[in-house]
Amino acid sequence: MAAANSVLGLYDTPDAGANAMDGLKAAGFELGTFDVLTGTPYPEGAFGEYVPQHRLFRFPFFGAIVGLTLAILFTAGTQLAYPVVTGGKPILAVFAMLIIAYELTMLGAVIATVVGIIFESRLPNLNLGAYDTRITEGYIGVVVECEDDRLEEARGVLQTAGALEIKTA
Amino acid sequence: MATSSLITDAPDNRPSNIEATALLAGEGRTAIGTGLKRFMWLLATLSVIGLVGIVFRFINDDGRQEWGYYAATLAWMLTVFGGAPMVAIAPAIAKANWVRPVARIASLGAIATAVIALLMIPLLFKLPALTEFSEVLGDDVRRKSIWFDSPRYAPHFWNVLVLLTLALVGIAMAYVMAIPDFAAIRDHGSGWKQRWGKKLARGFYGRPQQWEWLKMRIGITGAIYFAMLLFTNFTFSLDFAVSLVPGWKDSVFPFYHTISSFQAGLAFVIIGVWAARRWGGMNQYVGHEQMWSLGKFMLATTLLWFYFFYSSFIVFWYGRSESDSATIKLLVSGPYVYLFWTVFFLVFIIPWWIMIWNKVRDSVWGPPIAAFIILFGLFLDRIRIYVASWSAVPDDLELATTDILQEMPDTMWPDVFDVFIMVGLPALGLLSILLVTRLVPLVSLWEIQQSRLITKPIRFLRSHVMLVGKPD
Amino acid sequence: MQQRRILDEFTINRELLRGNLATPKWWLPTVLGLLVVVLFGFTLMGIMFNRGLGVTGLSRPVYWGLFITTFVFWVGISHAGIMISAILRLTQAEWRRPVTRAAELLTVFSLLTALFFPLIHAGRPWRIFYWITPFDFSRGIFPNARSPLIWDPFAIGTYLTGSTLFLYVALLPDLGVLRDRTTGWKHSFYTVASLGWRGNPRQWRLQTVAGILLSALMLPIFVSVHSIVSWDFAVTPAVEGWHSTVFAPYFVVGAVHSGVSAVVTMMALMRWLWGWDNYIRPEHFDALGRLLIVVACAWLGLTFAELIFGVYSLEAPERALREMQMFTWPWNLLFLIFFLTAFAIPVPLWFFKRVRNNIAMMFWTSILVNIGMWLERFLIIVPGLSRKQPFVFTWDSYQVSPLEWGLLLWSFAWVLMLMLLFSKFFPLIPLFETKESQVFTTDVQIGRVTMPAVIRELD
Repeated sequence: MAAANSVLGLYDTPDAGANAMDGLKAAGFELGTFDVLTGTPYPEGAFGEYVPQHRLFRFPFFGAIVGLTLAILFTAGTQLAYPVVTGGKPILAVFAMLIIAYELTMLGAVIATVVGIIFESRLPNLNLGAYDTRITEGYIGVVVECEDDRLEEARGVLQTAGALEIKTA
Repeated sequence: MATSSLITDAPDNRPSNIEATALLAGEGRTAIGTGLKRFMWLLATLSVIGLVGIVFRFINDDGRQEWGYYAATLAWMLTVFGGAPMVAIAPAIAKANWVRPVARIASLGAIATAVIALLMIPLLFKLPALTEFSEVLGDDVRRKSIWFDSPRYAPHFWNVLVLLTLALVGIAMAYVMAIPDFAAIRDHGSGWKQRWGKKLARGFYGRPQQWEWLKMRIGITGAIYFAMLLFTNFTFSLDFAVSLVPGWKDSVFPFYHTISSFQAGLAFVIIGVWAARRWGGMNQYVGHEQMWSLGKFMLATTLLWFYFFYSSFIVFWYGRSESDSATIKLLVSGPYVYLFWTVFFLVFIIPWWIMIWNKVRDSVWGPPIAAFIILFGLFLDRIRIYVASWSAVPDDLELATTDILQEMPDTMWPDVFDVFIMVGLPALGLLSILLVTRLVPLVSLWEIQQSRLITKPIRFLRSHVMLVGKPD
Repeated sequence: MQQRRILDEFTINRELLRGNLATPKWWLPTVLGLLVVVLFGFTLMGIMFNRGLGVTGLSRPVYWGLFITTFVFWVGISHAGIMISAILRLTQAEWRRPVTRAAELLTVFSLLTALFFPLIHAGRPWRIFYWITPFDFSRGIFPNARSPLIWDPFAIGTYLTGSTLFLYVALLPDLGVLRDRTTGWKHSFYTVASLGWRGNPRQWRLQTVAGILLSALMLPIFVSVHSIVSWDFAVTPAVEGWHSTVFAPYFVVGAVHSGVSAVVTMMALMRWLWGWDNYIRPEHFDALGRLLIVVACAWLGLTFAELIFGVYSLEAPERALREMQMFTWPWNLLFLIFFLTAFAIPVPLWFFKRVRNNIAMMFWTSILVNIGMWLERFLIIVPGLSRKQPFVFTWDSYQVSPLEWGLLLWSFAWVLMLMLLFSKFFPLIPLFETKESQVFTTDVQIGRVTMPAVIRELD
């Protein structure tokens, strides 16, 4: 659902940021509509934030299956297409095919994992919304997405927690 | 803003040191449960049956090939009990905190290596000398081995020396690691345990210098044990298997033997942790964190088992020389083909598919299931290797010293005495460990106390986390 | 000894982005100098393509010489990245933080360099694509999937792709920092490259999970790559000294030995060139030194196994080869230098804490190790081949030509130049890892002792 407004409160201490998150929860803002932005990872739940669920672990399995299929097609297909016995080995030499199958399976898993990471991180999203470059200098940003009718309330909560600046996008 | 300003204390629900001492070193340990008593009597009975099996094996000795199952059983015991102490040594070098409660279970595996050293003596009478045929074929004609032109007492003397050293160093390491707990038993125990605790504590009162001395001794014995374990696996696997088979030239085999020893050691410790929780009342001391970490390592060693097996297999398969093909046929595709595939599934495929799932690995029931399967699978693997090797030793003078296995032996099935040996000897090893645990606590009390000292549950802003100290 | 510095994010940004937001004075002359060597190397390649492989010393029976030695060497160096990044990430070792990106970078660039050698080695590299890709139906033959030479491109390609993606994913937070610190075309570039990174808990959590998951996936690939490269030699019974089952773990452990040593070299250079004393500290070299002792001892054990089993069967050709390698001029001198530089000099020195904490000593010993490890590959490949067919028409043994030495020099210049170019646009030390360390580490008082402590999240 596209929110009408994105409001950012900027704080100079993690404590103040955590207080802002508490204030938004107490004011009844829905979990998932407000978030904290930091320039460094903090322990999970440090700001009382909504802990996100992800489905990243499904991606490597899907990628592995695709990789394995391609490997079997390549190794079996090429050998069956022009069967030439080399070194007395069978045309479909499973123990040798295993190596290429293993590599392509792992390649598929890695590529799918990376795609999954980017996708689950909700990237690419070049529109940053309400954002401040000082977040990557150590400041804490608390961003709320709300409709017009709750905009002033959101600003009030953020201000009460001690925001240095409030931005809207 | 400094992290310390964001931290506040949190409630600590872990058992106190007083509770731990009472459970592990105090009066409550004096009585032995009926269940454990019955189990130990069962082990004792099986041990006697195993010894009877050895005696009858000597009486009904129809040739070298009859001793393959005995060699396989000893190899399995060396693999499991010898490898277990590594679970205490390796993470301790990396200063891992999670290993503290399980270090004792791991180090006790070394007790059984003394049993293995004694049990190896009958087998040494049956191991052929390298110069077996020299009297007939000439002094320079020997079976191929890593001892090359060594004197007549190789490999027997060296294997005894190496295994005895391993046992002594292992027991020394297990003893040193238990000294502070002996002191706790001296101070809180009663009866014979208190008397023995006093003797074995040797005046340990926890002075800073004594702790430094203890750490140094643990470090030294641990390092020597690691080196000896490698060396023992090297000599045992080569002298009791590889060099018996003409044409089997496999430089990675000792390392394959060693890595499966680490795998088995991890499985042994996981089962020990499970038993400590199930019957020892130690749920609050060993649990999820230990299972998770041990399980990860066991998964890694399971994958490494396949890696080392495949490293050897692909070289033989691709090379296709006569000796390469004969080696593959003997160990993989010939008389033991069904056994090989069973091993492949039990040691690799099934444990891998059990442990690869986060939810299973991150449980207290998943790793023990995989561990039991791995131990059984490795027993079959040792049968595959050692029974095949002992049955492949040719009696013909010329064939024994050639470079190719000319005659493929038939599948060697176990008789009743082999079954006695396979069941009885591991029972003897396990019994020796359980007897020691009558005095020594199964979970290391002093390590738990040290862990409590350097870890603390805290609140970081709004989250609950653990603060872990990192002493040098 | 713990040497933690307390630094705020602003200081970390300023110090670690020093090379990105401004250009150090030494950077441009160095890159230009390296570029000259690189162009010289490409010229040598051109000469070789034009005049044929006869300009090298290669000939029957030594058809693999310096090029393949250098190929194996650079694949070996590439093993540092995942060893340090993945294993230390999985074991949550705090000291990995300043090292991970540079190690991953070394992996990517050394793999790229390694790939050049089998390509140019073919003499007519444009024809090599027939050989590994099935697209030409008129030749009546497709790639031979049973050959280790076909396994190689798959293994190295997988490792290269995986490492590059791993590097990029871990770079995302730092690209966000660069986006916020730049203007103009640089800002546009970093905005696109960072994909819109904001730093919310979901994204940070996925970074952590990504690190662990990708590490777990890359580790088996890391083990397999150099094993597959080793099987180029080990699977054939035709060459003395090659047909040994221990080659796979032997090569992998050797690769870790040379790779971690290369990381030590690189870290020392980073500290000196960019003045990163706060981030690359003696404790890191101490930790790497201890790791190197373990790896070097494992390598020694495997080397011993390889030598012992080389003569295990007491066959005359194998014994003759080992005698030549160790006791016959000039191989005996090379063998002595190899053993001294790869193990006998550096490892005993590393046992001393004073040496491990001395950055200059660690720098020079790490270079010694890589000289030794290059010689190790040379001694594995060339002597066995030179004895392969005793009755051939060549009367000389293999002589390395000036062109081959030139291309060896080119490879070092190429890797260094790529690293320096990377350092201009992206930070070599991960900013977010350094900042994470500041948040997750603190001091704790136990009695009268203050010790460092880390925060561990509860599952």
